[in-house]
Amino acid sequence: MPRIVRGVLITALVVVVLIWLESGFGASPGFQTVLPDAAWRQLVLFAMVNVVIALSLNVINGMAGQFSIGHAGFVGIGAYTGALVAGHLHVRLGSGDPQFANSFIVMPLVLLASGTIAALFGLLVGLPSLRLRGDYLAIVTLGFAEIFRLVIATAQTGGTAEGSVAKFLASLGGQNGYAGPEGNGVPQYAGPFWIFGSVIVATLIAWRIKFSGWGRALRALREDEIAASAVGVDPTRYKVVSFVIAAAGAGVAGGLFASMHDGSPTVQPDSFTFVQSFDAITMVILGGSGSVSGAIVGGVFVTVTVKLIEQLQGLESIQAFRADHPSIDLNALRMVVYAAVLIGLMILRPEGLFGEREIFRRKRPKKGGGDPDNNAAQKSQSTQESTQDSENSTPADKESTESASSKQATSETLTTAEGTAS
Amino acid sequence: MKIEHPNRPAPKAEAGTPLLTVDNLAVSYGGIKALKGISLNVNRGEIVAMIGANGAGKTTTLKTIARLLPISSGKINYDGRDLGPVSAESLVEYGVSLVPEGRGIFPNLTVRENLELGAWNHKSKSVIVETEMEVVRLFPRIGERVKQVAGTLSGGEQQMLAIARALMARPAMLLLDEPSLGIAPRLVADIFEAVARIAEAGTTILLVEQNTRLALKYSRRAYVLRTGEIAMSGNSKDLADNEEIKAAYLGG
Repeated sequence: MPRIVRGVLITALVVVVLIWLESGFGASPGFQTVLPDAAWRQLVLFAMVNVVIALSLNVINGMAGQFSIGHAGFVGIGAYTGALVAGHLHVRLGSGDPQFANSFIVMPLVLLASGTIAALFGLLVGLPSLRLRGDYLAIVTLGFAEIFRLVIATAQTGGTAEGSVAKFLASLGGQNGYAGPEGNGVPQYAGPFWIFGSVIVATLIAWRIKFSGWGRALRALREDEIAASAVGVDPTRYKVVSFVIAAAGAGVAGGLFASMHDGSPTVQPDSFTFVQSFDAITMVILGGSGSVSGAIVGGVFVTVTVKLIEQLQGLESIQAFRADHPSIDLNALRMVVYAAVLIGLMILRPEGLFGEREIFRRKRPKKGGGDPDNNAAQKSQSTQESTQDSENSTPADKESTESASSKQATSETLTTAEGTAS
Repeated sequence: MKIEHPNRPAPKAEAGTPLLTVDNLAVSYGGIKALKGISLNVNRGEIVAMIGANGAGKTTTLKTIARLLPISSGKINYDGRDLGPVSAESLVEYGVSLVPEGRGIFPNLTVRENLELGAWNHKSKSVIVETEMEVVRLFPRIGERVKQVAGTLSGGEQQMLAIARALMARPAMLLLDEPSLGIAPRLVADIFEAVARIAEAGTTILLVEQNTRLALKYSRRAYVLRTGEIAMSGNSKDLADNEEIKAAYLGG
């Protein structure tokens, strides 16, 4: 089968599956059939949004090695932009329940607006701070994210606002959050179709970036900036553009987050604090800096772990324990458990689950060399290399299957636990 | 080995004419004057060495020529063009390649990826493949290890890779910063032999080297730097016989 035909068929299959998840073709939506519990559906969608966040942060933190610690700020910008666009379009479309058909009008515009606005802010932040060598980006991004959040959170709400900027900020609802233009919630257009679809597209883009000349330039910059510029890689240009790409990805994730099915009907400034930025960094580092597969696994892992610990607190035995020992603050203990999990992982695998590797290896284009001796040498080298590779890749593969199976196991125990609880 | 570059001045026809001219170059780190007016020139096809003690300003001079440090005053002229406003990353387009101090390879990338990055300014796949073959002929050890991760190479091999990577850009002029630093003596000889062959093929080389004996052996001319100034210059052979140089740098 020619590659193009195969590509088209795979794309068509994926689209059909996604539409089935969302609409069920007349029957009940596939996503609800697979996961009848709304809390789990929410968790899965939330994990997917986090995967987009991790994938985008991986471009600047993992591939380019520039430490950005304000990623939640860009997610927040995307979320507010997306909520504004979705809310106003929803009113134009006649309000009511968000229809899947209408989401094809709303979501493309939401994602475009969220990505673009976040990218613009990315350029604004990145251009001055990335011209300098060193850790200025970390400071600037952290400051930027907090400024963004505080400007929204502390905006004067109520009727006293004067001036268009103040009125606009007031309309975003301050600390209570933005609930659409009519105050009855941000319309939830982003179902599994859009969220899973975005994850797939983001993965493909991240993959393309990593294995292109662009990705190689970024890795070169990360390893040695002087050497990279000595071979002709313009550090500022590559860093700034990568940062803008990362910001755009975060914006898209924010747009999805704002109008996510089963999500919160309001967009609140507290969803975009330093803690969220830090979670995003954890996802990238845990999965393996620079690894696309790692960002995906890290995004899922962090989301599920945090939720899992929350869910475990609902267990009867834990509740009973809490009643018996009121002096122990279990809520604080949650963070201790989470931190312990992270520390354990970093001790066991300091380079992250994947290091810089991927689950799938890219096929290298074969090179025709004229020198037969040299070719022979390369061949013997390549056979050595391939055995080495399989040795190298097995632990990682094992790790991933292990973590996947353990995750499955935990999810099973969790459902049974819920069963007994209810 | 034949290395060609689109920007490269014809080597044989004008051999001996100046390719790089540095005129009264001054560079400061903050308030400290690192270079106090360095003037030197490198003719086409020559190996010129800069020698001197630690902190004499050798690497500073090279880094400034490579446009990694800003010029306080003075001029750098390469092939009739002023390098003052040129950025480090576009220097390679002019035909000048730097081999940074401490090797400066990309340790987590494979040897081949390192080489391909060296050819960043070339878009033609066939030119890259051809150059890689030429470079591998010069450094067979690198050819044997193209798929290895560069950080796993020995120090000498990493230095060879750094030079090989610089050659991938097909430069007319190579700036070499301390190629013998921290490398086993047997490999140092190999590296200098390779440098000599690169020069024979017509690439002009400006070399910074602490190992005075080696630098004077392989270069045609040399400049002796002392506290940011040129203390002495001349043919390398004459300098090697100079009593003062012998006493100060060659251990008597």
